[in-house]
Amino acid sequence: MAQVTLKNVAKVYDKKIRAVEDVNIQITDGEFLVFVGPSGCGKSTTLRMIAGLEEISEGTISIGDHVVNDVHPKDRDIAMVFQNYALYPHMTVYKNMAFGLMLRKLPREKIDKLVRDAAKLLDIAHLLDRKPKALSGGQRQRVALGRAIVREPAVFLFDEPLSNLDAKLRATTRTELKKLHARLKTTTIYVTHDQIEAMTLGDRIVVMSDGRVQQIDTPLNVYKRPANRFVGAFVGATPMNFLEGILESADGRFFFVAGETARIALPAEFSSALADHIGNTLSLGFRPSAMREASPADPQDERITLRTILVEPLGKNADVSCEFPDGTHVLARIDAREDFPVNADVQFTLEMKHVHIFEPGEFGANLVHPPADILAPAAV
Amino acid sequence: MPNPPTPTRVKPSTLAKTLGRAVIVALLVLLALTFIFPFVWQILISLSALTDVDLLTQTGFPPALQPENFITIFQRVDLARYFFNSFFIAGWVTILQVITCSMAAYAFSRIQWPGRDKVFLLYLATLMVPAVVLMVPNFVVVLKLGMFDDYSGLILPSAFSAYGTFLLRQFMLTVPSSLDEAAAIDGASHWRIFTTIMLPLARPGIIVMAIFAFLFNYNSFFWPLIITKTANLRVLPVGLLQFESSYGQETPLIMAGSLLAMLPPIIIFLVLQKYLVKGIQLGAVKG
Amino acid sequence: MIGSKKKRVAIAMMFLLPNLIGFLIFTAGPIFFSLYMSLTDWALTKHNEFSTEPIRFVGMQNYQRLLVGDESVFFWDYLGNTIFLMIGIPISIAGSLALALLINAKATPQAPRIRIRAGVIALVIGAIVTFFAWLATTPGPLPDPASPLLEMSAEVGLTDKSLFEVARLRSISFTLITAVFSLVIALGLIVGSVFFRTVYYLPSLLASVPMFLFWKTLYRPRGGLINAVLDPALDTIQTIITSTPRFLWYALGIALWTAAIIWAFRLMRSGINKLVHKDAGAAAFIGRTALVLTMLITAYGVGAVLVQAPQQSMLRSGFTSLDRSQTQTIADSLAAEFPTADTAELNLIARNTDGSSPDDAARFFATALPDDALPRTRTIARAQAKPLHDGLTSGDGLTSPEWLLSPSWAKTALVVMGIWTAIGGANMLLYLAGLANIPPELYEAADIDGASGWQRFVHVTWPQLAPTTFFIVVMSVIAGVQGGFEQAMVMTEGKADTITLSYYLYNIGFSDRFELGLACAIAWVMFAMIFVLTIFNFRVGNQLTND
Ligand SMILES: Nc1ncnc2c1ncn2[C@@H]1O[C@H](COP(=O)(O)OP(=O)(O)O)[C@@H](O)[C@H]1O
Ligand SMILES: [Mg+2]
Repeated sequence: MAQVTLKNVAKVYDKKIRAVEDVNIQITDGEFLVFVGPSGCGKSTTLRMIAGLEEISEGTISIGDHVVNDVHPKDRDIAMVFQNYALYPHMTVYKNMAFGLMLRKLPREKIDKLVRDAAKLLDIAHLLDRKPKALSGGQRQRVALGRAIVREPAVFLFDEPLSNLDAKLRATTRTELKKLHARLKTTTIYVTHDQIEAMTLGDRIVVMSDGRVQQIDTPLNVYKRPANRFVGAFVGATPMNFLEGILESADGRFFFVAGETARIALPAEFSSALADHIGNTLSLGFRPSAMREASPADPQDERITLRTILVEPLGKNADVSCEFPDGTHVLARIDAREDFPVNADVQFTLEMKHVHIFEPGEFGANLVHPPADILAPAAV
Repeated sequence: MPNPPTPTRVKPSTLAKTLGRAVIVALLVLLALTFIFPFVWQILISLSALTDVDLLTQTGFPPALQPENFITIFQRVDLARYFFNSFFIAGWVTILQVITCSMAAYAFSRIQWPGRDKVFLLYLATLMVPAVVLMVPNFVVVLKLGMFDDYSGLILPSAFSAYGTFLLRQFMLTVPSSLDEAAAIDGASHWRIFTTIMLPLARPGIIVMAIFAFLFNYNSFFWPLIITKTANLRVLPVGLLQFESSYGQETPLIMAGSLLAMLPPIIIFLVLQKYLVKGIQLGAVKG
Repeated sequence: MIGSKKKRVAIAMMFLLPNLIGFLIFTAGPIFFSLYMSLTDWALTKHNEFSTEPIRFVGMQNYQRLLVGDESVFFWDYLGNTIFLMIGIPISIAGSLALALLINAKATPQAPRIRIRAGVIALVIGAIVTFFAWLATTPGPLPDPASPLLEMSAEVGLTDKSLFEVARLRSISFTLITAVFSLVIALGLIVGSVFFRTVYYLPSLLASVPMFLFWKTLYRPRGGLINAVLDPALDTIQTIITSTPRFLWYALGIALWTAAIIWAFRLMRSGINKLVHKDAGAAAFIGRTALVLTMLITAYGVGAVLVQAPQQSMLRSGFTSLDRSQTQTIADSLAAEFPTADTAELNLIARNTDGSSPDDAARFFATALPDDALPRTRTIARAQAKPLHDGLTSGDGLTSPEWLLSPSWAKTALVVMGIWTAIGGANMLLYLAGLANIPPELYEAADIDGASGWQRFVHVTWPQLAPTTFFIVVMSVIAGVQGGFEQAMVMTEGKADTITLSYYLYNIGFSDRFELGLACAIAWVMFAMIFVLTIFNFRVGNQLTND
């Protein structure tokens, strides 16, 4: 068991392509940490540096108490599961799992026991004599997993291990992975581009974009308190809606003014965080679930009026595609009802405690609900 | 209701189709016969008595079969020796080429080292240089190294093949790199990865390369001709030609020897043709 | 990626070194060494352990000798021979494509059960036919002493026994042919394309000395299989020609010419259109022109045969090769004519040119004579050789060529053999792979568009195969420029005007003169030709595959 520390880690390819920039993470012993981000953002590169498959261009990585920058992968006490599983096609399942142990010169009986135990744990004992070619995708995935766990390493590394499975299998395997981790309690670093996977699996999530870490936090915090506009947009089952506008103040109250289309009164709690930004262009972000149909009791200046285009009933809820007069698209998730008007102007209310205001730009910081560790006691 | 459009093109009738296929099969068979009959003819000559060859040409069959020719040829000329030499030389060249080329291919496909791509480019560039350009300087090199008229002069110059290295490198590149990464994490050294992962996985490529190397060297004529003078070192092509130029009229014996010399390639091809066909096609796609 | 940089270099070197050392000594090094040698007068006869004479740097002298100097008479002639042999390349490529298309048509049954059933039926029918073939042709156990056949045989001086024997052997041969025929059909049906692919491929696998020795016997003017088949065939043709009206042959020949001209015109018109509209570049246009010219020349030749057929006149003119006594006569008369010449050398040349064509011999004799003696030498040599009587000629009907013995047919013989060996070889396999890679949707789309079989070929198959064809052409040209040595060495010993550039290199470097510097220069000239041709091929290839 071990903790993993990344200090100012960067990766430079071919002396000019900076694929990963200044990553600092402290992974505690037994933690399940998930790297998530769009494809090409540098997740795999980071993971492969931890594994020792890529040279570390800058910074240091430690596993346990040792800096491992110059340590050969085999001596880092890690195991890795690859996206394509990387099973040796010419070896049986048994040999695939035993290979690493054989190279470590464990006694025959010990190897046999470890392999069979792991196989039983993963329910692949009946496949041990087959070659990878004769396995289904899910079975291969389990064998790859088995090959990793027999080694009883200090750290598990996963690089998109589920992305070659179909949707249903992916869901069940996800649960099993979680259970497995609860049972083995091995430090695990997991890379995925799928934010649902990240949310469900991780103790903490590292959101990356363009080679940089955007936020490190628990799944709930990342969801509720996205550090910046990118994280807000990336994390969550339905994408955040954004409105571009200017912050104005009148009568001691703040208003978010999006041109002609909306003028939204902001709650008093935001005031201290926004005081320095009056007159600035900002973006207002809110999830579809932060909207509901306006009731007469709601104050007029917390409502927005949208034209409904399409209703998609989801059961308890319904997703409503709407547009502002200027064409800005907004998705609302509301309580389902039969006779919801389509092609009509409808008033919605925003739940202000779920509304975020970001500085301009793709990575504009969250001003009103920043992550706790940056602005600890303030806000809400 | 408008009528559905009537089809303008009618599918050819099954009869026409069958007829067309019959014509194609007939062509295939006739062509096959143009390749097979000459060899049947060669077998007939090799089974005839020398005095019967004229009659054979008139009638198409010898009056008496004389399979002893296949034994006589071994007595008249040191065919056993030529066979041994051909197999010995082609065999050693093949073994050495497999070793040197697969190792080099591994270095070119699996290890990162500065200058790697430049050196590989140099290998590629030499592939464009025709063999005749190398003939004379290699002759001098062999002369100077004291390998003239010696097995080493026949084996060593062919033991390193730029083409084989290229072929195997291309083949190894198709093996996913995550496999050797997995092996590295499992604790395997480069040598270990090479022997237990790469060699087994590149086996089809290595077999192709080995067949090419063997057949090419088994058939090779120019180089053995200029690099040997002792009769003991003659390979099959050189030995057979020597026999023919001294006993040109003994057609049945010559044909028997030539048939025997053709047997190994035929057997190799029939047994391994799956690999060979793939290999020829692979070389082109990648080349 | 794995391990420190220093260690990686060390490991990489360990893997690479065995190969790299050999590569440097026997491949990379020799290339530069060869270039240097080609600029020296290095000759083993001058520079060896018995002499201390230094190797002199002579600059471009070797190249000059080859291209314009004393060696140029040989060089250009041998270059011509090399190019002649390369005529086989386009023919065999087209043949390879045709074979691949035939195999790829999957005309034999595909389902395993039908395959076996059809094969067994073919086998049974074949066995029955073979049996009846034997029954119908066998002369029977006892020749009837009263048979008119026996009288006839007595007239031509044959004993009854030998006549009977001939009939018996013919019968066996006929039966054997029938049996092989049936077997091939049955195997083709059972095994399918793989059988045909294997049979077609085998000759190319065996293209080495043993097979050339075999073809040498096939080509024997008398007693060789080819002329044994050709003689009766030519007789038949002769009969047909003499028994049909003369104008028919004229008409056929002229029709062929007309068709060729029309087709050439159309091809060139579309070529010019493409050039004008920048659909294709100049190199593609040159390539097209070359193809059209080849076609016109071929059509002219065939048409000429047809038009002249009724006159039974000559198809080719030339000389028989010289025999030993004739070359000696030439040497003697030259010695008489040029008193300054070294008689011993002339006699040596006379011995070496046994079997050469008169023109070849003349060139060799001229090397021992004053500079301007070549024309006179040629006249003397030609006077010795018998003119004509050479293949498909002669006044009393068509006769088979003398093939390898005849300077005007030997190269053709080599080309024919080359096509026979190469047509089903690697090129066919490459085309098969190319055909298998054409997406079937393309054919379906073409079908929907209403394309005929020929249009499918022109608009789908051929363009899709362009990269394959390109690769094949490049490789064939590279091999072609270097080719011809083994065949000529085995089958003609370089006589009958069959020496190619590679054979020339052998002669200069390793056979009689050991002039290594000059030999290297020949190699580099060949390399230059390959280089230029390959670049040209690349340009055409780029233009065609980019359409
Ligand atoms: N070997 C390499 N050479 C150059 N650039 C690379 C290499 N490997 C990855 N990259 C670049 O680094 C960036 C991050 O890649 P990666 O870590 O694989 O992304 P992902 O987050 O999808 O796993 C990408 O832009 C990719 O193009
Ligand atoms: Mg990745």
